[in-house]
Amino acid sequence: MDNELQAEKKSVPFNRTHQAIEAERMLRRIKDDFSDNPDAMDYFYDLYEQVYCKGESLHKEEKVVGTMCVQVPEELIYAAGGVPVRLCNGFYTDDQVGAEFMPAKSCSLVKATLGMLDKGSTLPFVDKVENIILPATCDQKRKAGAMISEMGYEVYDMEVPPVKESEEARLYWRRSVHNFAVSLKKITGKKITKANLKDALAKVAAAQKAYRTLHVLRKESPSIFLGKDAFMVTNAYFFDKIENWTAAVNRLNAELEQRKEKKITAAQRRAPRILFTGSPAIFPNLKLPVLIEESGGVIVADETCSSNRMLYDMVAVDEYNTENMVASIADNYLKPCTCPIFTRNDDRKRKLLNMAKDFAVDGVVYQSFSGCQVYQMEHSSIAKALQAEGIPMLFVESDYSPDDMGQLSTRIEAFIESLKAKRRRKR
Amino acid sequence: MNCFAGIDIGSTAIKIALIDEDKNVIASRVTSTGSHFRKNSVDALHGLLAENGLGIDDLAYMISTGYGRKLLKEADESVSEITANAIGALEAGRKYGEIRTIINIGGQDTKAIQIDSSGTVTNFAMNDKCAAGTGKFLDVTARNLEIELEELGDYHFNLKTAPLPINSTCVVFAESEIIGLLADGHGKEEIVAGIHYSIAKRTIRLAKRIGLDGLVYFDGGPALNKGLVASMEDELGKKLVIPEFPQLTTALGASVLACEAYLDELEIA
Repeated sequence: MDNELQAEKKSVPFNRTHQAIEAERMLRRIKDDFSDNPDAMDYFYDLYEQVYCKGESLHKEEKVVGTMCVQVPEELIYAAGGVPVRLCNGFYTDDQVGAEFMPAKSCSLVKATLGMLDKGSTLPFVDKVENIILPATCDQKRKAGAMISEMGYEVYDMEVPPVKESEEARLYWRRSVHNFAVSLKKITGKKITKANLKDALAKVAAAQKAYRTLHVLRKESPSIFLGKDAFMVTNAYFFDKIENWTAAVNRLNAELEQRKEKKITAAQRRAPRILFTGSPAIFPNLKLPVLIEESGGVIVADETCSSNRMLYDMVAVDEYNTENMVASIADNYLKPCTCPIFTRNDDRKRKLLNMAKDFAVDGVVYQSFSGCQVYQMEHSSIAKALQAEGIPMLFVESDYSPDDMGQLSTRIEAFIESLKAKRRRKR
Repeated sequence: MNCFAGIDIGSTAIKIALIDEDKNVIASRVTSTGSHFRKNSVDALHGLLAENGLGIDDLAYMISTGYGRKLLKEADESVSEITANAIGALEAGRKYGEIRTIINIGGQDTKAIQIDSSGTVTNFAMNDKCAAGTGKFLDVTARNLEIELEELGDYHFNLKTAPLPINSTCVVFAESEIIGLLADGHGKEEIVAGIHYSIAKRTIRLAKRIGLDGLVYFDGGPALNKGLVASMEDELGKKLVIPEFPQLTTALGASVLACEAYLDELEIA
């Protein structure tokens, strides 16, 4: 970074930067526009304030390894002594900067990530990142990888097969994960051993266990926990210290259990229950989840790579030897993944239909970022599958800019109202 | 006397409908929204009540809808304009038959709504943030051609040749396209008809996403433009139902919902 830019940046206190202002606005909305938030959520609200509004770094001593996708096996990074930090970004400010790198109609998430990493931008939650792991998933992320290299970062391209069902794909991906495990030594300076890998697996499994408990608590009807807070919890997993995160989720679960006993609900008894899917909601771009809940709906389940998909499936190990553990990790990151980059995606349909049933869902909201072709292309087949089961779906194409709030709120409210009317008719 | 108000605060115009307990329209008003959404809405409502010898005490229930719906704290509640439009079209369209599809073009939105026999919305499609092909677009066109908005229909029917193909329905790009066409010596009639067909094509394409079942009801300010209506019918291949007061459908729907909400409350009490 040249000195002039750095000097200019320092002259602006972090809380006056566009990122901090954007973060502050969304944080206020999430905290203050809703009454009776669980006390245990304060940990998460404070965490966002600390990293995004005050610009404090969470990882000072550790070797931070940036990841650009849910597809990077974090157990391996922990085993090699690193801390994985997910860089997928939700800031409109960074999206505008990143727009210079990409064609006009491209994914906001990719643009915002590029914008955040660009020279002169402020990187939240860490002092610096040198190494970035980029799975070769969608076209836009792959091409962004090359641009990020040019910015001076050390980018590791991790190959991903385009199909996930075949034996060839499994072997190909296993080899890719194996190579990554070996290469990590060069990044962190520490070799992966049987002992540290077993520890890493336990650490991530503990987090997943806490998440699953929370996930199941959301089946309650009337709902005891709002989706906007669920997104804040899972999103914090991107950057928080994993042990702290797990402990905070466990505290939240304990409080929700108490609320369940005392019948303290988070939404009205007849509030339409929504399943959220599609392009990931990442802070501060939580405008759609927040709008849904401001309009009287409640998000009881989600299927995105910033939430459920990131934490739901645990690694199943047969034998605790290094080779077997790495292979098991590889399998866990390929088979259950329902990302639309894969050629066929009947798995995603099946998963959504199951979730809709398990969580007694009234309707599905499908978000697709403008320019995210794979989610756009998959939407009509998902809509048909849901329609066949009598589940209405609202497809929303949006991006990070706040200027479609008027139209979005009309559409969301109309959808919620139609779900209510449908329910009344059933009675 | 108990009356019920539906007030539709749109991006361009404020529309108010007052009905009695039998859902007969007592009075209505269309006025410009301006920049003071709330003040202009309240003023228009008071004016309308006074003109009809009514006071605020006669107002038993009021529902706001439209872009500015949340600003009107005086209202008992608010609903989205899609729900209100559906109920209004069912009510106003009853004399034409059973309405199943509604196409609405507003100041900055285009919507297609599918309803069932009770007026419940079963599906809808709406433009994203882009105001292409909406009332705003007609407004800009008229201004560029230096004609009144109300004259667009006349120009359309005065055309003796084929309409010009206009490629852009984007407000900004169309402006430069129109200037280019004028510079090439094309007549206003050709351009106006071309604009109508380009809006019609875009709108019908949006509506096809939800299907076009049964009678199709077309409302919103631009439905007053007979040239646009003719183009839409050509594009659709069938007749549209155009209500007597196309701008007021959504306000009427809100007033009907207000009346029903009031009666529900009475029942509960």
